[in-house]
Amino acid sequence: MPEADAAVPEADAWPGPLAWLDAIPAEQAVGMCGAKMGRLTELLRSGVSLPQGFTVTVEAYRQHCDRSGLDPVIDAALGGLGADAGPGEIETAALAVRAELAARPMDPDLAGLIVDAYEELSSRCFDINVPTAVRSSAIGEDSHAASFAGIFETYLGVSGPDRVLEAVRDCWASLFSPRAVGYRLRAGLRHQDMPMAVGVVELIHARASGVAFSAHPVTGKTDRVVIETNWGWGEAVVQGLVTPDHIEVGKADGRVLRYQVAAKKVVSSFDYAAGRVVETAMPARLVDRRVLDEEQIAAVVGTVLAVERHYGYPVDVEWVLDKYRRAGEPVCVVQARPVTASQPEAALPTTWNPAAMAAKHVFGR
Amino acid sequence: MATVIPVDEFITDEWYPGFKPGYTHAPWYVDPVQTFRKEDEENFWFLDFHWPRGLTPMGLIWNEDGYNWACQLAAEQMPLPPGRGITCRLGGTHTYGSPLPVNDPREIAQRARRLDRALPPFLQNFDEIWGQMREEVNESWDYFSGVDLSALSLADLRENLVQARQYHKRAFEIHFQVMYPLLANYVGFYGMCTELGLDPGQISKFLQGYDTKIMETDRELWRLTTAARAAGLEPVFAAHEADGIRAALAAHGGSAGGWLTKFDDFLRVYGWRTEGSCDIALPSWNEDPTPALGTIKTFLQKGTEHDFEAARAAAIDERETAVDAARSTLTLEEQKLFDGGLASCRAANFPWWQDDHNYYIDLRISLPMRWACQAIADRVGAGHQDDTLYLFWEEIMDVSSGRRSYGEFTSLVEQRKQYFDYWLQRRPTMPKVVGTIPESVNDPILIEIFGLNSHFLRAVEASHSGGEIKTLTGVPASKGIGRGIARVLHNADELHRLGPGEVLVCESTSPNWTPAFAKIAACVCDGGGTLSHAAIVGREYGVPTVTAVGLATVVISDGDEVEVDGGTGRVTVLRRAGG
Repeated sequence: MPEADAAVPEADAWPGPLAWLDAIPAEQAVGMCGAKMGRLTELLRSGVSLPQGFTVTVEAYRQHCDRSGLDPVIDAALGGLGADAGPGEIETAALAVRAELAARPMDPDLAGLIVDAYEELSSRCFDINVPTAVRSSAIGEDSHAASFAGIFETYLGVSGPDRVLEAVRDCWASLFSPRAVGYRLRAGLRHQDMPMAVGVVELIHARASGVAFSAHPVTGKTDRVVIETNWGWGEAVVQGLVTPDHIEVGKADGRVLRYQVAAKKVVSSFDYAAGRVVETAMPARLVDRRVLDEEQIAAVVGTVLAVERHYGYPVDVEWVLDKYRRAGEPVCVVQARPVTASQPEAALPTTWNPAAMAAKHVFGR
Repeated sequence: MATVIPVDEFITDEWYPGFKPGYTHAPWYVDPVQTFRKEDEENFWFLDFHWPRGLTPMGLIWNEDGYNWACQLAAEQMPLPPGRGITCRLGGTHTYGSPLPVNDPREIAQRARRLDRALPPFLQNFDEIWGQMREEVNESWDYFSGVDLSALSLADLRENLVQARQYHKRAFEIHFQVMYPLLANYVGFYGMCTELGLDPGQISKFLQGYDTKIMETDRELWRLTTAARAAGLEPVFAAHEADGIRAALAAHGGSAGGWLTKFDDFLRVYGWRTEGSCDIALPSWNEDPTPALGTIKTFLQKGTEHDFEAARAAAIDERETAVDAARSTLTLEEQKLFDGGLASCRAANFPWWQDDHNYYIDLRISLPMRWACQAIADRVGAGHQDDTLYLFWEEIMDVSSGRRSYGEFTSLVEQRKQYFDYWLQRRPTMPKVVGTIPESVNDPILIEIFGLNSHFLRAVEASHSGGEIKTLTGVPASKGIGRGIARVLHNADELHRLGPGEVLVCESTSPNWTPAFAKIAACVCDGGGTLSHAAIVGREYGVPTVTAVGLATVVISDGDEVEVDGGTGRVTVLRRAGG
């Protein structure tokens, strides 16, 4: 994994079709690599641990659209749709664009660059055909205004150059799923304003994963970190397929306030035959078992607080606990974004005020 | 549309046969005691659980001095921002209470500011304030209990009764002056704890384990129980009903004589206590020791001794454990707030005071008036000592001043006794609430003492709309799940119907119901909160208890099989009697 203070190469190499996470100026990162991957680059400076990887940049996507003649196709298919377009209309247009995308080959130079980068990544990870996470990272997603949560694709466990290339193209195509097209139409966003970068990062072998919030996602209380976690990879948690263990930790002293062990019925695990991460039934002996111990909780809390300090506002972080992690080592951050939750409620009073409490709980009713 | 339950069946000008009050009948602070009028239907009225038997004419003095003077006055002195206390209307001999709202936002804001200033110093100096008030109450108590009424002329008896009523009125001024601020603090703390995610069933434990005068009485009763066993008197207690024990012991002779001396010593100190709250019609244990002897009889049946020191240590241990467990789930910021609230509620401890003040005020403060009324009855030649309790204040003033002769009232007193009995029979079928059901109430007495929370109000609405109700929700007062056959009791006279393992269902309990908790599987009350008598005793005896269920005595029928979950507050009818 890269060091936080990894050297940044000469800036005149940019813009280019590929960008290593540790080799791009942070101020250009989001513009070149999209929201998700760009933020990871920014995060290198916060000192948290990240997987190694590179991004197929928005420049690569633009080149592909340009050279394969996709732009006029997109304009023709989608230009006539307004905010009031019906679902049938949207689906027909979106599927037309996807068919064109699928039919047009990737420029051999670009494909060659991606394959070369993938082999370099394998080599950096001391692996052959290293399994990767291939993540969509569009410009403008995960913003404060529009989260596009779950609209674009992520593929976990993608291994080998051909599958990586295919996964990159699938991520591009997810820009034109009927859901994505409909979402942009409703949000009043132009399709051209949302070019798609794609991250290719090493897949951390997950013992456990989850999300961590530096403010309570429901009440907005900022005095605690809230962790939700499951065995294996985090997809089942993020997609809401499992009820995860729920943990709350006081920020001021790092004390575990509550640990609710959930009956975890689903796990995202690596299917070696299929070569990808899939959702399966949780083995019986893990269903009711507590996922994190105190040391691991402290490591997750330390990480999410480092990210919060870096940004200066409450964040939510997707993290992975490496199978081979030893006590004292950091957990790995795979995504971070501002908390998209309810507004923080009025701050707790700091001293007991009987009249104020009576007003709130007795007389206010 | 708000649910409206008509008041028509109670509309009358007459309080009792032969009495329609004049405008100046008794002073009030905001609103007077009255019978129902049609326009009262616009407000919300609940049947007060304190007097399940109804009130005699002289007993109605409590409404005048308590709710309509002292309570309303207290709600102004330490102002409740949105309320002026409680008023009442008479349904026959029974009392319906109602909150008096303040609706003007400007006035509410001003009252809130006054409360902001007045509440903290009251709470901080509570020990001293309550100490001075208790001293005042005790000083007058010593005066009244020291008067030899037999030596007084009728005119002096009249003067004594006037003084006793003034004492009664002053005691309830004190009562409500303390109760409102303590309750506001406690209910605020309770609300904050709930907001912090703490288990509501644990909150009352944070404040338990402090000795009260009522506990002191129980301790002495246990000492007498041990002494009775040592003196070999168990068979005498076992062989007689409570009201026959005293005569049986006197006839038994031997060791019983020594024990009765001890018992009389006990009564001299602890016997100035009635079996219900604030009712001149109730005798003290000194006048009729049956309840005390009945309690000792039950304690003897339990077999084991009650180790008060162990129970107290366990209560303290449970308190500290509950506090530690609660604090461990709070952030440092939350702990600071929680600790502040806990310290405030311990320094001005409502649950403790709720038990303690009953000894000094509610259970004995009517006695000086009762003694004077009885002495007047003797002096004017009434057939029975209690006959003067069926006169209204003006009437007894006239009789004791010689303006009118008692003879003018003898047949009226008989009619009024019949009227009392008629309404006593009618009580079980009276509506629990009448008038317009509100969304919520915001008087802390109504919330905590009467349990008029949203569950209660919604249950009333559901019942009124005619749906069959099988599940009720109230305040979880004592944890655990109990199942059994329901016994729906309307007053303590029916306690003998209650079998071991059955579920007690009632409007509310008072100290003379306590022995029943030794044998029941669970308890359900229409009224009360986390600190009502049943809640406190339920926890002490480990009996699952749910209070403030609202309509338990209406929805549950005698003989139904019910399940009571004291942890969640849920009461379920499992099987209907005969079904």
